[in-house]
Amino acid sequence: MIATFRYEFLMQIRRPVLWIVYGLTFAVIVVTFGQPYAELSMGAGVDRHDPTTAMIVSADLLMLLLPIVYGCLLADRLIRDRRLGVVGVLDATPTGHTSRLIGKYLGTCAATAVPFALAYFGRAVAYAITEGEPSALGWAVAVFVTTTVPALLFVGALALAGPLLMPPMLFQVLFVVYWFWGNLIPPRMMPTLADSILSPNSRYVAYGLFGYRPAQQPPDVLVAPDYYTYGPVSEAALNFLRPEAGVAVALLWIGVMLVLAVSVLSLARLHAIRTES
Amino acid sequence: MRSLGLWSHEMKRAGPAALLAPPALVLLVVFLVAFGTRLGSREGNTAWFLMTILETGIPLLAGIAAASLIGRDRAVELQLTLPVGYRATLLRRLGVMVGWTALCALVVSALLVVTGWWDLLPAASHGLAGQLAWLSPMLWLTALGLLVAAALRSAAAATAIVSFVWLFEQMLAHLFQENPMLRLFHMFATTYGTAPDEWLPNRLTLLATALLLAAAAWPLLGDAERTLGGEKE
Amino acid sequence: MRIEISRLTKTYRGGVHALDGLDLDVPTGMYGLLGSNGAGKTTLIRILAGLLKPTSGTVHIGGHDIATTAGRLAVQRTLGYLPQDLGVYPDLTARQFLDYIALLKGIDSRTTRRRRIGEFLEVVALTQDADRRLKGFSGGMLRRVGIAQALLADPRLLIVDEPTTGLDPEERIRFRTLLSQLAGERTVLLSTHIVEDVAQTCRLLAVLAKGRLAFTGNVGELVSQADHRVWTLTTPGPAPSHGRVVAAVPEGTGMRYRLIAPTAPDPYARPAEPTLEDGYLALMETGR
Repeated sequence: MIATFRYEFLMQIRRPVLWIVYGLTFAVIVVTFGQPYAELSMGAGVDRHDPTTAMIVSADLLMLLLPIVYGCLLADRLIRDRRLGVVGVLDATPTGHTSRLIGKYLGTCAATAVPFALAYFGRAVAYAITEGEPSALGWAVAVFVTTTVPALLFVGALALAGPLLMPPMLFQVLFVVYWFWGNLIPPRMMPTLADSILSPNSRYVAYGLFGYRPAQQPPDVLVAPDYYTYGPVSEAALNFLRPEAGVAVALLWIGVMLVLAVSVLSLARLHAIRTES
Repeated sequence: MRSLGLWSHEMKRAGPAALLAPPALVLLVVFLVAFGTRLGSREGNTAWFLMTILETGIPLLAGIAAASLIGRDRAVELQLTLPVGYRATLLRRLGVMVGWTALCALVVSALLVVTGWWDLLPAASHGLAGQLAWLSPMLWLTALGLLVAAALRSAAAATAIVSFVWLFEQMLAHLFQENPMLRLFHMFATTYGTAPDEWLPNRLTLLATALLLAAAAWPLLGDAERTLGGEKE
Repeated sequence: MRIEISRLTKTYRGGVHALDGLDLDVPTGMYGLLGSNGAGKTTLIRILAGLLKPTSGTVHIGGHDIATTAGRLAVQRTLGYLPQDLGVYPDLTARQFLDYIALLKGIDSRTTRRRRIGEFLEVVALTQDADRRLKGFSGGMLRRVGIAQALLADPRLLIVDEPTTGLDPEERIRFRTLLSQLAGERTVLLSTHIVEDVAQTCRLLAVLAKGRLAFTGNVGELVSQADHRVWTLTTPGPAPSHGRVVAAVPEGTGMRYRLIAPTAPDPYARPAEPTLEDGYLALMETGR
């Protein structure tokens, strides 16, 4: 598994298109979000001098659009073995199918997340220097590990396994539609998984573990009189999937992401077993 | 006869699953038209969804089809030795996918006009020019897909860029609306709104720039050595 | 269709010299191209097929300069090509795939296509499986589909790269015979590292090594490269350190070795008649 991990990591990270596509899209994000990205403050009143808040905003900005790039660049990795005709050769190696799948999954996901991480931690270093807040680096690690990594693990599993179950082109379309519908559409607009416990882009960890609070009360959140939080959205469907944020729910969200990732990978493995037999 | 045979083989080669998405979109529209109101969606909301499907869904399908053209052809080496240029074959394949998508878009448009939903669509033009609501962004995203596929020679990278641009224009529509220059290039000006006298210039600008993107892709598609080399993976 | 290659060089990006000043004249008939992996065979073949552009030098095929678009197209109209790794479209049946390629090769008449496809499916023994989707075909069957497509348009120049890989012995023999029969008025360039295929089909051949021409001539001349250098030795001990072992067969309690060495590698070694493979290996040893 370690050998597969290493091999897949190197194969993916050496792909020039990985860097070209991330470079182009990241440049567009920086140019577009000029002011918010420079200040790491979204919306009026967010305290940009608070390193935790700044690192959460930084992760939010990247998680909006970059997972699409991450997923698309992963989507051809599992089917590539079949296309290159190396499945037989790999089957003859002593590494078991499941170990190979896990090694491949972790290796390619890790490599594809490297430019993502560089962008994120690069901004964290810049913030730490300009604001004189070295603690931002520690918060950056904590935010990345608890919010970005679980989300990328799930999205990575989905992107790797999807093209095994349907034609790659159809999967790409569904993946983009899923990301838009299931993560970015405001919940009041239509029934969506956005902001739910099932969404990789939700903010349960930010609110539940790091105490993130936008200075202004969000207009569409059902709130108790004395505080506001993250959770059920007024007039939205599927609110049963949006429990009120707290430490337990934040940990639950991390668990849900990991369980979803394992489930999708198990599905891929089962599909492979069915195809082999 | 020969041409017909080639088109027919290209359709079979694409496979039924690859051609499934556009009709699925048509079914979604039929479902919304028939049951949208009964499901509790307000009339204005349903109209907006229908336009979103037409103006954003159709271009996404065509754009990803174009972006997937290069890098997944198993018989590329043989194809490049045939006297019929590979560029012609690629354009035929694009024609199959985009043509099929456009046909489905026309069915959706006709359905919306006949059922009266078209009149409720925000900022939609009427008559033949109204078809530019989906045609312009579809051709623009297709041309972009073709160009990045030819330049990067990787379906994964090209679809990543097309998907990113599609999502970007949806999520940051306000940026396009606020800037008079960018307004001309916004693919989804019908869905997200624009001044009535700016709609047609926007559609025509998209068509003109699509032409430029396709022209930039043309020489790249004709370079056999580049195409054969593929993406370094 | 004569192939005239003069000072042909191909340098890939990154400075890899795949071909280095190659001069070669390939007459009509069957012609073998031998060489180890990385010798430049596939690069040469791809240049001849119009897939790659030479860095320098000239190539004329049947009088057409392949550096020009008109020349390249003229050659491609009369070319049958079987690449080393032929990919196919899994959703098409064998018959549909051949029909598709025939159309792309410009065979417009439906009747002609049907007739030729039927003929060549018979030749490659795939008539029974013609209407099965290619996704269910074995490697050998796909190879046979590849051979059939290369022959479809009655090519005057046939270039086949490792054509017998994946075929069973019976199929190999049948295919080699077919190639020899086709050669008559055509030029058939057989690129392979299976020396036996060349030995059984070609009178003339070239050997490439490190992008250069290591040998050109007839089969007998290549065999003679190993004259007085082939030895057999039966011994219960290990192979002698002197010389290159080309075969080792267990015999009784010992091993019977076949070796290439300039002088007898062991006092008990006996001289043997060289084969084409010995000649090829002796040539490679000399160039090392």
